[in-house]
Parts: sequence; C-alpha cells; structure tokens
Amino acid sequence: MKNTIFAFKNIHVQVESKEVVRGVSLEIGPGEKHAIMGKNGSGKSSLANALAGHPAYEITKGEAYINGQNLLEMDATERARAGLFLAFQYPLAIPGVTVANFLRSAVRARNGGDESVLKTFRKDLMEMFAFLEIDKSFAARYINDGFSGGEKKRLEILQMAMLKPKMAILDETDSGLDIDALKIVSKGINQASPSDGGVLLITHYQRLLNYVKPDYVHVMMDGRIVQSGGPELALKLEDQGYDWLESKNARAVEV
Amino acid sequence: MITDTIDFRKTAKNEPEWLYKLRRDSWSAYHDSPLPDRVVHLWRYTPPEQFLINDPHDAMTAAIPMPKGNGHKIKTLTEVQAALGYNLSDMTTLTQLTPELSEQGVRFLDLATAIETGAGPVQEYLGKLISSDFGKFEAANMALWNIGFYLYIPDNVVIEKPIYLNRIPTGTNTMTRLLVVAGKNSQATLIDNYRDQAESAAGQFNSIIEIFADDHSRLRYVGLQDFSEKITGYITQRSRIGNQTDLLTVQSILGGTVSKVNTGTILDGRGGNSRIYGLLFGDNNQHFDLHTLHNHRSHEAYSNIDVKVVLKDKATSAYTGLIRIEEKTVNNEAYQENRNLLLNHGPKAESIPELEILSDEVRCTHGATMGPLDPDMIFYLKSRGIDYKQAVRMIVSGFFEPTLKNIPDDLHDAVNGIILDKLEKH
Repeated sequence: MKNTIFAFKNIHVQVESKEVVRGVSLEIGPGEKHAIMGKNGSGKSSLANALAGHPAYEITKGEAYINGQNLLEMDATERARAGLFLAFQYPLAIPGVTVANFLRSAVRARNGGDESVLKTFRKDLMEMFAFLEIDKSFAARYINDGFSGGEKKRLEILQMAMLKPKMAILDETDSGLDIDALKIVSKGINQASPSDGGVLLITHYQRLLNYVKPDYVHVMMDGRIVQSGGPELALKLEDQGYDWLESKNARAVEV
Repeated sequence: MITDTIDFRKTAKNEPEWLYKLRRDSWSAYHDSPLPDRVVHLWRYTPPEQFLINDPHDAMTAAIPMPKGNGHKIKTLTEVQAALGYNLSDMTTLTQLTPELSEQGVRFLDLATAIETGAGPVQEYLGKLISSDFGKFEAANMALWNIGFYLYIPDNVVIEKPIYLNRIPTGTNTMTRLLVVAGKNSQATLIDNYRDQAESAAGQFNSIIEIFADDHSRLRYVGLQDFSEKITGYITQRSRIGNQTDLLTVQSILGGTVSKVNTGTILDGRGGNSRIYGLLFGDNNQHFDLHTLHNHRSHEAYSNIDVKVVLKDKATSAYTGLIRIEEKTVNNEAYQENRNLLLNHGPKAESIPELEILSDEVRCTHGATMGPLDPDMIFYLKSRGIDYKQAVRMIVSGFFEPTLKNIPDDLHDAVNGIILDKLEKH
C-alpha cells in the first residue's frame, strides 16, 4: 500500500434504505488532487456526505482511513478534527451566528481547543477575505444568510483556507458560479490545498479542472467508479459526454 | 376576613380613602368573579386555579413595608445605574435615585410612600390601564398589593443610564406593582429583574406594570424573569404611548414553574412606535404562557412583535398575540412573528396570532414557525470540528441573537448567559 493521506475501500452508502454508493475505493497520496466526475444521481455527493459523517448517509460496508486513523469510528466532529474538510454543494444558512464567531470556534476546535492558534486569527481572516475578494463586512454577517450562490461557495473555500485540512472534499464547488467567480474560487482552492495533503474534487464539468489541475480523474456511474485515468479523461468526457462510458459499462455488466 | 386586613393596612400605612376604597372594591371584584373562561385564547393553555390567592392575609400582613432605615443593608447605586429599587423578603421596599435626577424632578419611590406623601399624581394613573375589571388576578393585585414602585419623569428629562428594579418573592403570595409616568420628550430605560433567593419559599408571584408614556418620549422596558422552579409567576403589563412616542418592551421569560405573562401597548397617539420582543427558554417541566397585545387607536403608528421560544425536555409554551386596529384609524402598520425551536421530542409549543382589523388603511402581517433543530445545521457545524453540544449552543444563541440585539448590552450578556446555563444542564 502506498503512502496515503486518505484511503477508502469498497464503500457502500445507503440513504433512506436505498443503496446509492455500491463499492467505491480510492487512495489519495500527499499532494495529490483527484477528481470524481459523473452525472447527477451517480452517487458522488452521497459518497462525499457519507465520508464526512452526515448521519443521513449510512456507510453499510467498507473501510476508510485518514492519515492512518479509522475514519468510520469517528463522528463528523472527530473527522473534521482529524483533518477532513467537506466544502458543501449547498452551504447552509445559520441565522444569528456570525461568520467571524463561527470561524473562530471552528479554528479553535480544529486545533483541539488550543487558544494560541487564534492569535493571528483576525489577521489571517482579513487576508483570506482580501484574497478571495470577499468584503470585510461579511465577518459580521450571519453564516450564508442572504448570501448569493457565489458568495456561499467563496465562504466554503475561505473556511477551507482557515481550517487547513489534510484532506479536502469539494462537492460541486464550481456549480452555480460564473466565470469570474470560478476563477476566484479556483485560485482559493489552489492556495488552500495542502501540499502534503489531498484534495478530492467532485464535479459535473471539466470547467473547474481547467483551473484546478487534477492528477487523477475518476468517473462514477450508478454508485461505482467505472473508469479512472489522468486529466485527459476529463477532456474526453467534455468532448464526448458520458454515453460512451454508459454503453461500455452496460456491456461490461452484460459480459 | 381579608377586609379586616385591608382596614388594618389603611390604619397602619395611613392609606388615603380613595386607595382604601379601591382596595375594597377590587377585593370584591376578585372574590365575586368566576374563574376565567377557558374557552378564550388567553386562558386556553393555562389552568387559572393555580393563580388563586391561597393566603390573602399573608400577601398583606407578613410585614408592613418600611421605606428605609430599618436595619437592612442598603445597596448603593453603582456607576452604571440611574436608580435602583428592590424589595426584601419581608416586603421592605427600598429605592435610590441619583441626586442629579432628583434635582431634575425625577421621583422614584416606594409606591406606598409616594401615595402617603403625595409625591406625585398617583391617583390619576394607578389602575387606569389595568383596573380591577381587567381580570380576576389583576383585581387581586389591586386589592392586596404590598410592594410597589413609582417612577415619575418630568417633561424633557433624559435619563441616560438604566433604572434597575430587583424584585423577589416574599412568601406564598407576592403582590407587586410598578407605575411609570413619563412626561413629554422624556427618555429612560427600565430593567425589571425578577429572581428569587435560595431561601425563598415556594409561592405565587403576581406583578402588575403600568406605563404611561407621554408624547415624544422614548422608553425601554426590559423584563427579565429568572425565577427558580419554586415560583409561579403572573405578570400583566400595559403601556399607553402618545404622539410620536417610542417604546421598546422586552420580556425575557426564562424561569418559574408556570409563567403567565400578558404584555401589551396601546398606541394612543399619532406616529407612535411600539416594539415587543419576547425571549422564552423553557426546560424541565416549565410552562410558559405569553400573550401580547398591540392596540392601535390612532393613526400612522408602527408596531412590531417578535417572540422567540426555545423549549427542551418536557417544557410547554403557548403564545397568543392580538393585533387590534381600531375603526377610523389610518395608515397603521403592525407586524407580528412568533418562532419556536424545539430541542427534542418532549416539548410542546402553541402559537395563535390573531388580528382584529377594523380599518381598511392598514398594513399588517403575522406569522408563526415551529420546528426541531435542523440536523443539517448541526452537521454543517460538526463538519467544521465543532462538537454537538457547542453546535446546539451556537444554533440556539443564533436563534435568539437578532432579537437579543435589540436589548441593552449589559442585559444581552445576562440573558444569553442564562440561556447557555440552561443548555448546559443535563
């Protein structure tokens, strides 16, 4: 087994007693970026939510490790503290909780309650706001409350940058972004990606991968990874769509 | 006979004839009236029997209040206070006011002393918003009240710092009143704190608050009820505001075994502005019953009600709110919102907003929401390394925050602290 930051094997996920992920395995080494592509309903987001510990996504079978620690023995809080980060496809609004207070609590929690990490908090936060071209006033606004789609996605990447995860799963972070916002978000992802950690990009489209270059591309279909390759696979999908894989996969099943 | 006690009090406290008659008539009103009808919304959710006076003699005679200097340690005003009024467990009522305000004509006194010494136009106002016809338990208070505070602010006097009231239960039946008469262009903030002491006996606490705010005045009344679960609270408050008058009313209802609070503003002048904010957090077997009233009797006035309720364990709460816009009034705006957050499966909340709109030229909205903690919100916070307990704390604080923001800073932290303490339990 190679040196991995994040590895999972034969993961099965059920949502409301329906199996939506049916045996997915992946190994992500330090500094690697992987992309999972696939159509709507292929199980990509379910996989992401299950790995992050959402209680509605039950992992019924399989193994998963972050930095050698057994992920499946941890709840969502512990997974985050172990270095896992999920950028949400639909980030939730939490009325009454300001972005700054939330991030302060999260940074402290991520670092095992160590207050000393907060010494440069304000400065780091302001720098990241500037880098992601988010107005400073957002620090005092309630989390995602009344934010536009693009603002929500930028805030997810801001959180990633502040929390410095070992392994980041980005669930359709590019969806709903116009080209300018996509560039800013991509810049943020590249900046925040840990050099010794891993990134898993979940996306429909090649578009994001023009700005955040993956080392490996995997295609999910019907709850399984049906094809893996290099960045050229994403280009082929962009060019030819998913149909060729569907027929190939259907044939494989027939055989 | 309780009437003997009223007679005794007249002699002992040298109460004037008009008050004596008011007490006697109010006692009859209390004694002769039936229990409130459970069919009306106001009484649908809380059995009235528990507010009957067990021991009317106790309410009046445990001690005769002494205004000052009877050997008790007198609290001194702190730098952040304009005035301080409090009662002791033997019903002694003490008040303090800064000399500067006293010189400006402000009066802040034990109500009985104010009446006895003729320190202000008490007779003109006492019981005029909440008379003995108002309700059975309001009549009981008028007959038997023994702890009272009187605040008079002359025209054009601005009181910058808050006025504090600390009220404690004094036995099986505590009967307390507050009368505020605020002149034109005056300003003040009142912080009315209800809390029992470790040694307090179990009992009922009946409090009546009447606030008269004259034209162009700006008042803030903040009630903070944090009784232990030994106490059953019954609080009725009415304010009447004049032209271009601004009143903020906050009711933070956090304690007591049963707490029935009826709070309301009569918008009696053109361009009045009344906001009522409710912050309720119940746990264990606590029961809250909050009623609000906004009664628009003039034109171009604005009112807003925002009631937030959080319940856990087996706590229950009922919110009923009435907006009434009188005939022949124009261009009033009235809003009402009640949101309920249930932290587990045990608690129950009711919400009944009502509108009585007798005028066509009006803008009104009302709404209610009720729901459990959102598991997706919890997951979002947990996915950032925050643990479950802290996630709940953040969501509950966040739920109250937009409402809490409207109350004075020093109370903001106090109320939030009580809420967080309650969350910590279990």
